[in-house]
Amino acid sequence: MKTKHSYILLLLLACFGMTSCQKSFLDRKPISAVTPENYLTDEAHLAAYTIARYGPTNGWNIGDADTDNQAAIGYSTIFAPGEWRVSASGGWDFGSLYQCNYFLQTVLPRFHAGTITGNANNIRHHIGEIYFFRAEFYFNNLKSYGDFPIIRNVLPDNHQVLNEASQRAPRTEVARFILSDLDSAIMLMQNNSPDGQKNRLSRLVALQYKSRVALYEATFLKYFKGTAFVPNGEGWPGKQKDYHAQYNFPSGNIDGEIDFFLTEAMAAAKEVADNVPLVDNTHHFPQTPSDALNPYCEIFSSVDMSGFSEVLMWRKFDRNLNVTSYAGKSYQGGNMGVGLTRGMVESFLMANGLPIYATGSGYHGDEYLEDIPKDRDNRLQLFLKVPGQVKILYNNPVIVEEGIPDILASHEHQKYTTGYAHRKGLNLDDNQNFDGYSTQGEISFRAVESYLNYIEACYEKFGSLDGTANEYWKSIRRRGGVDEDFQKTIDATDLAKEAAGDWGVYSAGTMVDKTLFNIRRERRVELMGEGLRGMDLRRWRAMDQLINTPYHIEGFKLWGPMQHWYDAAQLTYNDGSASTVSDPARSAYLRPYERTTVSLVYNGYLWNMAHYLSPIAIEHFLITSINNDMSTSPLYQNPGWPMNAGVGPN
Amino acid sequence: MKKKIPKTIGASRGTGRTMRVANWWMMIVIILSVPHMLKGYGSGGLIQREVSGKVTNEQGEGLPGVSIVVSGTTTGTSTVDDGTFKISVPGEHAVLVFSYVGYVDEEVEIGTRNIVNISLKLASALDEVVVVGFATQRKANVTGSVSVIGSRELESRPVTNVAQALQGLATGLEIGQSSYGGSLESAPTINIRGRNTIGQGSNGGPLILIDGAEGNPNHLSPNDIESISILKDAAASSIYGSRAPFGVILITTKRGTKGGPIITYNNSFRNSSPINFPETADSYRWALFINDASRNSGAPDFVGPERMQRIIDYMAGKSGVTNIPPDPGNPVRWAGGSSEGNDNHDWWTSVFRSSSPANEHTLSMRGGGNAMNYYLSGNVLNQTGMLRLGGDDLTRYNAVVNLESKIADWLTLGYNGKFSREDYDRPSDFEGRYMQYMSRTQPANPLYDPNGHLFDVTTDRLSIIAVGGRYNRIIDNSSNQFRLIADPLPGLTLQGRFYYNLGDRFARTVRLTTYAHDVEGNPYVAEPENYVSEYIERYDYISQDYFARYDKSIDKHGFQVMAGFQSEYNKFRNASATRHGMIIRENPTINVTTGQALDGSTIPPSVSGGENDWATMGYFGRINYSYDERYFVELNYRYDGTSRFRADKRWGSFPSFSAGWNIAGEEFWKAHIKNISQLKLRGSYGVLGNQNTSSIYPTYVTMPVNTANGGWIINNARPNTASAPGLVSAVLTWENIRAWNIGIDVEALRNRLAFTFDYFTRYTEDMVGPAPQLPKVLGTSVPTTNNTDMKSYGFEAEVSWNDRLSNGLGYRAKFMLSDARSVVLRYPNPTNNFWTYLAGQELGNIWGFTTIGIAKTQAEMDAHLATLPNGGQQYLGSDWSAGDIMFKDIDGDGRVDGGTGTMDNQGDYSVIGNSTPRFRFGFDLGADWKGLDLRMFFQGVMKRDYFNGGYNFWGSGPNVWWSTAYIPHLDYFRDDPDHPLGLNLDSYYPRPYFNGDYESSGRNKAAQTRYLQNAAYIRLKNVTAGYTLPQALTKKAKIERVRLFASGENLWTFTKISELFDPELLDQGFTGAVYPFSRVVSLGLNVTF
Repeated sequence: MKTKHSYILLLLLACFGMTSCQKSFLDRKPISAVTPENYLTDEAHLAAYTIARYGPTNGWNIGDADTDNQAAIGYSTIFAPGEWRVSASGGWDFGSLYQCNYFLQTVLPRFHAGTITGNANNIRHHIGEIYFFRAEFYFNNLKSYGDFPIIRNVLPDNHQVLNEASQRAPRTEVARFILSDLDSAIMLMQNNSPDGQKNRLSRLVALQYKSRVALYEATFLKYFKGTAFVPNGEGWPGKQKDYHAQYNFPSGNIDGEIDFFLTEAMAAAKEVADNVPLVDNTHHFPQTPSDALNPYCEIFSSVDMSGFSEVLMWRKFDRNLNVTSYAGKSYQGGNMGVGLTRGMVESFLMANGLPIYATGSGYHGDEYLEDIPKDRDNRLQLFLKVPGQVKILYNNPVIVEEGIPDILASHEHQKYTTGYAHRKGLNLDDNQNFDGYSTQGEISFRAVESYLNYIEACYEKFGSLDGTANEYWKSIRRRGGVDEDFQKTIDATDLAKEAAGDWGVYSAGTMVDKTLFNIRRERRVELMGEGLRGMDLRRWRAMDQLINTPYHIEGFKLWGPMQHWYDAAQLTYNDGSASTVSDPARSAYLRPYERTTVSLVYNGYLWNMAHYLSPIAIEHFLITSINNDMSTSPLYQNPGWPMNAGVGPN
Repeated sequence: MKKKIPKTIGASRGTGRTMRVANWWMMIVIILSVPHMLKGYGSGGLIQREVSGKVTNEQGEGLPGVSIVVSGTTTGTSTVDDGTFKISVPGEHAVLVFSYVGYVDEEVEIGTRNIVNISLKLASALDEVVVVGFATQRKANVTGSVSVIGSRELESRPVTNVAQALQGLATGLEIGQSSYGGSLESAPTINIRGRNTIGQGSNGGPLILIDGAEGNPNHLSPNDIESISILKDAAASSIYGSRAPFGVILITTKRGTKGGPIITYNNSFRNSSPINFPETADSYRWALFINDASRNSGAPDFVGPERMQRIIDYMAGKSGVTNIPPDPGNPVRWAGGSSEGNDNHDWWTSVFRSSSPANEHTLSMRGGGNAMNYYLSGNVLNQTGMLRLGGDDLTRYNAVVNLESKIADWLTLGYNGKFSREDYDRPSDFEGRYMQYMSRTQPANPLYDPNGHLFDVTTDRLSIIAVGGRYNRIIDNSSNQFRLIADPLPGLTLQGRFYYNLGDRFARTVRLTTYAHDVEGNPYVAEPENYVSEYIERYDYISQDYFARYDKSIDKHGFQVMAGFQSEYNKFRNASATRHGMIIRENPTINVTTGQALDGSTIPPSVSGGENDWATMGYFGRINYSYDERYFVELNYRYDGTSRFRADKRWGSFPSFSAGWNIAGEEFWKAHIKNISQLKLRGSYGVLGNQNTSSIYPTYVTMPVNTANGGWIINNARPNTASAPGLVSAVLTWENIRAWNIGIDVEALRNRLAFTFDYFTRYTEDMVGPAPQLPKVLGTSVPTTNNTDMKSYGFEAEVSWNDRLSNGLGYRAKFMLSDARSVVLRYPNPTNNFWTYLAGQELGNIWGFTTIGIAKTQAEMDAHLATLPNGGQQYLGSDWSAGDIMFKDIDGDGRVDGGTGTMDNQGDYSVIGNSTPRFRFGFDLGADWKGLDLRMFFQGVMKRDYFNGGYNFWGSGPNVWWSTAYIPHLDYFRDDPDHPLGLNLDSYYPRPYFNGDYESSGRNKAAQTRYLQNAAYIRLKNVTAGYTLPQALTKKAKIERVRLFASGENLWTFTKISELFDPELLDQGFTGAVYPFSRVVSLGLNVTF
């Protein structure tokens, strides 16, 4: 019995041994995770946080599809009114803003208290980057929605607080908020980014972005003045809300606002342009291994872009680091099927500065692709793909040349949608030819935009060009390889002829003056394929004329002698869905979207006023309303858009 | 940073303490058991004499084939046809054990008798002893809802893991398939009684205990399982408190028994072949289909005339036509396979093989004496997978040791040890997305180039699995249980158990540089990357439980009282490292890498490691009372704490109550109804908690910080990244589960007929759900809180017949049926949006339009649209023509639309079906006669609807890249009599075109009644036939028993679902493209010495 008792004792001891420590036993905290208290306290933390905010580049690869400049394989239904409808949910996303506000709310007190360790300049630079990203978030939403809630802090998950914060600020206030964030970024960031390679943001980028935003808002206000699209305009939906009943522009009236933004745009643009020279142009695209490289081509395609002054920021790729792109294969093919329009190609002047239609221009016609760039603006010679040009020169057993444009292909690697394709970004190295493994860099910001912003802002503000604008414009034309005497071009311009291929002739449905048009033409030509055309057309209000007059997207002159490049049996038309090309009776030029009647834009691109801004999805009205009565929501719908999901504009 | 150090020490101190307890326990076991192991066990005298007699049933008919063994020896015989037997027994104290399938075993002390006549009683299921929480109970006394699976039902099944074998064997037990489908890395999911949570921040499944400790049943060999108890209602499982809100599965492994040693050897040799492959169209018909879809979308033909001609010529075997031409843009290389290929093959049969072998061997030994008994077993399974390219295989080893030693009359020590290793090997690129590529790679895309080299061996291509490197995963698990059981006083039992389980996982991924070949056959680098990546994970589980139980019977009153304590500690650690630049392909270890890319540049190695832990602790008690085997009452209580919640929200109490009444025990019943021997009514109610939040530390905020993963290269390296933390709710706490159960158990007709029925309702309350929808200006996800309620309800019924005829033919049949459905009772959905959860809605509802039919002509479509004057079918798209679907305007507003997607305005949407599998059933038939045995097992679902909006169902997806053409897809609308595929006005599918995304799209492909699939099915899951050789024959070879058997799995299926899918693998893999199930046929042998 003695052993029996000792065994029982043992058992009981074991029980107590385990139960006595229960309190700490159940206290378990994350073992291998970083807690907020210990993070964002060092320069390296700030760098890691800010670099995660860098998104893809600014639409460079997509180019300007869905504008009058370029056409993708498929058309966009925004040009088929009725097809773009109000969504039930989606959009109206504040995720990137939360990231910025969390950073600022956490870091600024520590910054002011001086408790963040590391290089002071770099710490300031990273804070500046976040101000830039907040500005970028707001500019993207300003473009989509116009009036937009301004939120400076992380908000609590409280319905009432969030409802109040959902009030849409008038677009002018949003634009001014963006400028103030960019001013912070400009103040905090260094002229050159700390990595030394221009792979991060810098003060110059912020300045250029500021000129972009300011010019955007100034021109938008100017051309939409008095409409429902601007605060206090006729039918402005914001007026329905009590919180906007007494809205006054900060400068008193809309003209004051326009002037303010133009002034800001000029100042910011000038600082960039005066600091950053344009790269040289040798006027020749290399065709043999011994040909000198042309910096003006290299800035769009080289693997390392850090050495080019004009590149303000670019994204680097590296096969070994598994960060690659689709760019190389796409540029060595048909640019993912995104072709240039006839209007874009005809916009280029002759090298002598005359439009192609002007008497004595020396235009060689467009019967053959090879004829088109002859004696034209050098930019067209450099950047229009023509059969026989070398396209793979290095690291390949054979030299591969550009063939006739494959308009019949369907694969985006081969497809030439319009017959015209640009050559900006073409890298002649076969190592770039692997689908998805391309490593050529991608430009985010190019300083020439500041030159163009200054010229336009100056003309919009004063109705004439000052000396600086004159000089900027000339330098662009000189580098581009066209007679720098722009007055000669202005004098020879016929707006009625230009209107056939360029929506920029119009603002609010009427033609602008010839000087302004040529400023817009310069922008179109210089920035071809760089993803800014859609923004420009909207701020210029350059699509009103499409409401009643359809516009036909055309490519090259297929139904001239070039039709013999193709097997006649394969060029079928008026054969229902089996048609491969458009009917010559519609146009001698290829109309990629008018092949079959199934196309929603078979009769051309049309427009609806509401399309200048995006609709807000219905769920957001419901979430912010009382008892699902959408009229109680602090939100209001954009002009022309209904309050029903699945319905197009009125 | 410094602050963290004490925490780490604190954590390891916790582990250290439990480790010391483990060592201490192990010493006790070893020291105390050694002397008893040496003792051996007694045996009888030496004089042999002969005893004879007859064995009959209760009707006095002789029973043939009854096994008779002299207890404690291997001496045995069996009765002949008329039930008589003869046997030699030693001395005078021999005990004979009579056993016969379906009858209760009898032990007879023969004394000096020379003739022994006995009659065996038919076994009653209610006499079975059932394992329940911390105890065993006679089934007759059980008041909760418990199902039992015996070892016989798992025997001889050619399955890869235990979960596969459990399907359909018990009511209320739901076995689901994983996204790996029939792959060797697939482990089926196990669930009890319908949906547990909606899975938005928490999850729940049954607690699976193997010999008392949480474990993975797939780490066991089915051969080692003695029995499985499934505790389904709250009363049965509440003793496990917060760990068991959704039921408990108790697996008991085999133990030693007196006598022996009995040595058993089992093997089986198997062959598997895939079932339910989708059949691919040939390249020509694929091209026609894709071109039609392109044209209907307003796009040019995807396959141009030149490529189409090559496809035709190649299929016709025209000489000189290769399966891929040189690239016109770069003629030294082959063109792209997806843009120019003109091969013709079915990727499914190119990648998968038609049959693959497997074999399994088990050797076990069991026995024991008065002081000590033992069970030892070893098992090895070798299985080859279905991959033809690359190949995949699995080897599993299992070992089990169960020892029990009586160190005193009142004290027993036990040790239970299990070890398993799973070694799985496959191509490193055969991962999740592979089946997605598989389902959409064109039949015209070559596997080999014209020179016979593998074509296009890059990451997104199917061919890479042949040469791109291997993935190898080894999972080791060892579990150890030490137990000490004391019976110091009559009726009092004290028990302490300590568990220490270890799990290790080593996974190695090797990526080899791949080479493509140009037109001349010269290799060039296709994918330069090559590296070795190692992943290591360690899982520690330490648990202990202590309890005291006291049993007492006074006259007709029976009492049992129990109280105890349990704690569990789980810890996970992992580390991984990857380095590039393999020096020797054959030695893929990190040491044998350079850290450099193929071009000599340095690639920084990537490493990571993490750790987390959680713990629970609880006190429990139970009181049982029974009166005269007629009235039964049971009370359970558990008080539980968990580390997942903050101190003030941590503890919960969980009571339960159950009662039973055996009406057949009443005098009035006994007097009148003879045929029904048992009629027990049962009822239970209990409250349980669920602590199983998706996050282990759900109330702590952490920063998402990552190393070297940035997309913007800075200074030639990928930078570290960080983001803002999300919001969390610090008031998160238990989910409450309340469950009711009523049931009835019947035994009738001399215990041959048994019937059980249960009806249950289970509420999951304060479930972790998506917090209220808040205005999007918040900018981040709204933290989840306890704000959702759900109810699951259903029934289970089981009826069985079990009989043995006097000619020795035994036969049995069992039919099992169960149903469970779930309804959301509370969910934050202020807009009443029916596309998410909605209060009052049943889970699994499928919303869709009502189909009128396919318009055969434009006129028919126009006439239909004319009936819809207020917008036609504009909501779904424009340009409706012949071959498109005509939808019904069910709300009569003159257009077909989706309203606001809310209950207030449903548009023309209605609930067209429900995807919950309903009325799961199992049907088990068995017979044996004179050594022959046969079993057939059917399993299935009687009602289930299914809608697949993806390209795997429709053929055409959002674009040509997300499309496929299987044979059924070719039955699409064609109104052109000259079409190469022929006119087809009565087609199943409408005209194809590209729209939407890969898993859902509108227009013709919108969810609708016409394409709702009936996913009900019945599957002949298993047939086993065996023959046991006559003992007279085997005895001569000193072999106790030899059985030969043949067994087959998944032999036959009947279903009405589209032949594109397997009814068990719906929505698995990638929108239905999944590693196929297989039909397995095996032959094997069981030998007992």
